[in-house]
Amino acid sequence: MINFQVYNRDIHVGDIRVVGVSSSSILMVGDAETIQLASAFDTPAESLIIGPFVPLAVEGR
Amino acid sequence: MLQRSSSVKHIHITNAALSSVIQLGDSKIINGLSRAIAVQREKQLFIGDEEDFSKYPIFQRPIIFPQDNEEVMITSFHQNPMIHVNSINVIAFSSSSILHVGNTDSINMEARVKHIRQLLPRHNRS
Repeated sequence: MINFQVYNRDIHVGDIRVVGVSSSSILMVGDAETIQLASAFDTPAESLIIGPFVPLAVEGR
Repeated sequence: MLQRSSSVKHIHITNAALSSVIQLGDSKIINGLSRAIAVQREKQLFIGDEEDFSKYPIFQRPIIFPQDNEEVMITSFHQNPMIHVNSINVIAFSSSSILHVGNTDSINMEARVKHIRQLLPRHNRS
């Protein structure tokens, strides 16, 4: 069993400047009990298609 | 246990799109899901209605999280019960993203993106 003690002292943040927050991301000021984030990104070689433009076919067919 | 409070003096957001949320104040459960098929074509062409999430395994495959078997006893002492921020300036929120000022219990977010690039055949270019 892990005993984890946290002492929260002063937090004074100046200016937060962000260009973009995207794809199920979170910008948070506050406390959270649990945070669970998952991301899947797929751009395999087969996704680079060189040829005449046709509607996309089913992958792996 | 007493909670901490958050104080943000100024918030400036230019754009919040595609199911993004600006949450000021406490919440309990946050669940976010974003799915996208991003098609880039060398020539401008919008076929529309050609895509289906079920066609691509990436949108089905389960995402397995490591198990937390370890029992953890967390004790926090808020010696200063305030979190101070002068300003937050964000240009854009998009695709189920969140700005949260305040406390929450659980956050669960998922993003799945499939990228496809279509280029013209060699002799057709220019």
